[in-house]
Amino acid sequence: MVLELAKPRPVWQIMFSTHHTDVALLYLITSVAFLFMGGALALAMRAELFLPGSQIISDSMTFNRIFTVHGTTMIFLFILPFASAIGNYLVPIMVRYKDMAYPKLNAIAFWMIPVGSALIWLGFSDTTWNAYPPYSIIRAPGPAADMWIFGLKIIGVSSILGAVNFIVTILKCKHPDLPLSKMPLLAWSILTSSLIMLVAMPTFAAALLMLLTDRLGVSGFFNPAMGGDPIAYQHLFWFTFHPEVYVMVIPAIGMMYEIIPRFSRKPIFSQGSGIAAFVLLSIVSFASWAHHMYSTGMSFTEKTVFMVGTLAAVPASAMHVFNFLATMWGARIRFAAPMKWAVGGIALFFAAGAGGVLNTAMPLDFITHDSYWVVGHFHLFVFGTIAFGSIGFFYYIFPFVTGRMYNEKLADWHFILAFIGASIVFFTQHLLGLYGMPRRIFDYPAFPEWIAMNQIASIGAMLIGISMVIFLINVIHSSSKGKEANMDDPFGIGGKYYYPHQAKTPHHHSGY
Amino acid sequence: MTHSTWPEWIYIGVVTAILVWVGADSWYIEHLLDKVPEDAKIIKVTGQQWFWSFEHDDGTKEVGELHLKQGQPYKFEVMSKDVIHSFNIPDYTVLMDAVPGRVNTIWFVPEEAGEFPIQCREYCGLIHYNMRGTLYVEGT
Amino acid sequence: MSHTEHEEPILRTTPARMGKMLAITIGIMIVGAAIFFSMWDYWISLPPAVARQKVVSTGPAAVATGKEIPVSLTFIESPDFKTMAFNALPGEEGHSPEIHANVGDKIIFDVKNGGKSFHAFAVTGATEGTGPAIAGTEIGSASNPLKPGTGGQVSFVPSKAGTYYYICAVPGHREQGMEGKIIVEEAKPAGQAAPPTGNKVSFSLNFLESSDFKTLAFNALPGEEGHNPDIKVKSGDSVTIHVKNIGKSFHAFGIVTNADEPTSVVSGTTVKDPNNPIKPNEEGEVTFTAGAPGNYYYICTVPGHAQQGMKGNFTVE
Repeated sequence: MVLELAKPRPVWQIMFSTHHTDVALLYLITSVAFLFMGGALALAMRAELFLPGSQIISDSMTFNRIFTVHGTTMIFLFILPFASAIGNYLVPIMVRYKDMAYPKLNAIAFWMIPVGSALIWLGFSDTTWNAYPPYSIIRAPGPAADMWIFGLKIIGVSSILGAVNFIVTILKCKHPDLPLSKMPLLAWSILTSSLIMLVAMPTFAAALLMLLTDRLGVSGFFNPAMGGDPIAYQHLFWFTFHPEVYVMVIPAIGMMYEIIPRFSRKPIFSQGSGIAAFVLLSIVSFASWAHHMYSTGMSFTEKTVFMVGTLAAVPASAMHVFNFLATMWGARIRFAAPMKWAVGGIALFFAAGAGGVLNTAMPLDFITHDSYWVVGHFHLFVFGTIAFGSIGFFYYIFPFVTGRMYNEKLADWHFILAFIGASIVFFTQHLLGLYGMPRRIFDYPAFPEWIAMNQIASIGAMLIGISMVIFLINVIHSSSKGKEANMDDPFGIGGKYYYPHQAKTPHHHSGY
Repeated sequence: MTHSTWPEWIYIGVVTAILVWVGADSWYIEHLLDKVPEDAKIIKVTGQQWFWSFEHDDGTKEVGELHLKQGQPYKFEVMSKDVIHSFNIPDYTVLMDAVPGRVNTIWFVPEEAGEFPIQCREYCGLIHYNMRGTLYVEGT
Repeated sequence: MSHTEHEEPILRTTPARMGKMLAITIGIMIVGAAIFFSMWDYWISLPPAVARQKVVSTGPAAVATGKEIPVSLTFIESPDFKTMAFNALPGEEGHSPEIHANVGDKIIFDVKNGGKSFHAFAVTGATEGTGPAIAGTEIGSASNPLKPGTGGQVSFVPSKAGTYYYICAVPGHREQGMEGKIIVEEAKPAGQAAPPTGNKVSFSLNFLESSDFKTLAFNALPGEEGHNPDIKVKSGDSVTIHVKNIGKSFHAFGIVTNADEPTSVVSGTTVKDPNNPIKPNEEGEVTFTAGAPGNYYYICTVPGHAQQGMKGNFTVE
């Protein structure tokens, strides 16, 4: 699967290949590159917010553009493409098919990412990644905002094409001897998240088009001066993006389902529970979007409906946590890097979910809305759960993709610094929110509590930054000069736990 | 294939019970907040890039500052002239979006005298970070 | 699918491959950064189309009186940033000077940002708020303001009497004091056009350009003799203007009341127009009766050419 024959293929042949492992590699390299670029922007912001006044960023316009591109990059150019990378690499193997259902479409979907990302990064718009009107219509300067809209449009189409590909591959190209109920949970996670994406994304595509025509002045969907309603955009936006956060989290949990049973040397506690939780989460995720809009003047009844919808999704997530903990219970665990990241991810996932329950309580939203509490909360999800799961899985497939082992000591340092750093930044930001600090601000008044907490948060962020540099060094050095891995058991787990490429017949599902 | 055993059902039961409690308690408190006191005085709040202006029920206008009396209920009618802002007095948990084209309302009672910051809680452009004001509550 | 094959397998990520991958990835980042930073001013320079439509002009341009009123304005702030003004703070001498003018006068604003904050300049007829600004009077805008130390020049020719305001167009600053009045009174009664005198006068004007196309002129380039000659006629004269395009570009001719407004053309005085211009080596001619006395201009009516130098004084006595 990973090893080349005598003569390695030329780079250009890999770049324009349509084979799923090559497209996966392209997605992987692209998404990790954007992880670092988006991360650099985050470090710039935290350095700026270390003290009131201007530190390294000279004006608020630049700061506003930085947080817009940071958010857009991390979501659309890191998390989603990384999940695509893993899906592309492993889904065909897991369903025992030779490639994805539509290999050429697969490659096209990938190549839309560089095009869309170029538009986003060259324009560097300042609308925030939500791009709420009327600001994004009547004030956000062009051509940056228009380039952002076009870039997102292209990436949205890429996501939909990818989702179609995954769904058809899993449901139609699956080997006849493999029942769905025995299909690995990672494949289930890709299936359910692709289904959500297919239903949710077109709404945002429509909203983007309406935003563009409003900007041109030919329509007034969201422009009050032309009879439109800005809140309509928020409904359309969050109808897509609340399910979208589940599109992001579900593959990460699926990745944890690959790591945790294997490194615990035990089968997953309940495959059925895992499948049920994924399916339940996909459906209920559509019932909660307007909890992002509690402060827009919704009525009591409206808010209640969405609070109930949000709370209804929590038990499904809780089922996953139980599944992981029950799998690890009483197990002889091999605590290699992937396992550390997965377990750290579960801990932060739990904290994120707990904070989320507080958020969704209607009266508490008056305290937390659009404050740093929200920033801390969602970063615990996107970094603490999704990035942790993704990075852990990256270490896991490293030997399979490269044939070499990464440096375990450096990986340990990466994990420790990232975990401590993440805990420091994001928990502190929860507190900052309780103290009233709004989000998306370039500068703040010199309240002593705010200054102290901002400094603590910035130190935590720097720890994460250092850990990522260690990561980069580890990856680059180990890929080209690392020790050759034992392909039958790279992590020394022992026992009868098969890796995807080892399963000899469809009856052996990958691992347990 | 294993199926869910009783520990998992108990765990889910506990989680669900907590969620139901959070939901019910929130519903009850929000229900109380929904009722505006009858003697609340109306203050018109207008947000625009990048400052807040206020109009009292007797016509008095204030820009950037708001002088209120301790213990008197007030109902804010929040409006915007251009883009979405959000009127926020963090010390009193007052938070309501100012959306152009509609009027949102929120009420409160300033129970403590003193000076309290007013800020904007929805990104509105270049000087969103400094769209601040001061609430002065005069003691009785 | 086991890989215990006989030949030595070559691993996928050799140092050479890794190097190529890094070179491509980082190379793309560098190229992108070069494009982005070299065009730094461009990406956020345009207001959205729907907002640009709100800029209005004040109706048909007035007859230029020829009088120019230069005004120097500097944005300043009080040390605590609570008060802002032009030139001096409230109470001090020279604070936000009031400007008096007549319809048709040209007020030339030389604006500088002498404060620490960001500002933008505009002339508006609105009594409060930031606009709409009168077309052509803006320097900077709320989303692309003037940084401290920078500035610019604009001119304003009021075509209607009334009270206008010069303001800082950054939201909130006008309310904090950055506002001054421009009081415009009716133009002195224009002279009556005299009945045709039968007196015939004719002039020859040639369109030409400098070799780098940056400077345009009539008859001769700036500095040379005969450059943009002044033309004086008496009201009622029959005026014939013969034009020839001796340059390489396209041009058109007209008499205007406001040199900055190519559309303020006096009817009957044009030779071709921007949509149907005079090609190189082509000629044309127009004859008309000189109308009301006043200071007019003869220009090339192709937008931008008057600003590049193709204009001269045309005075009717």
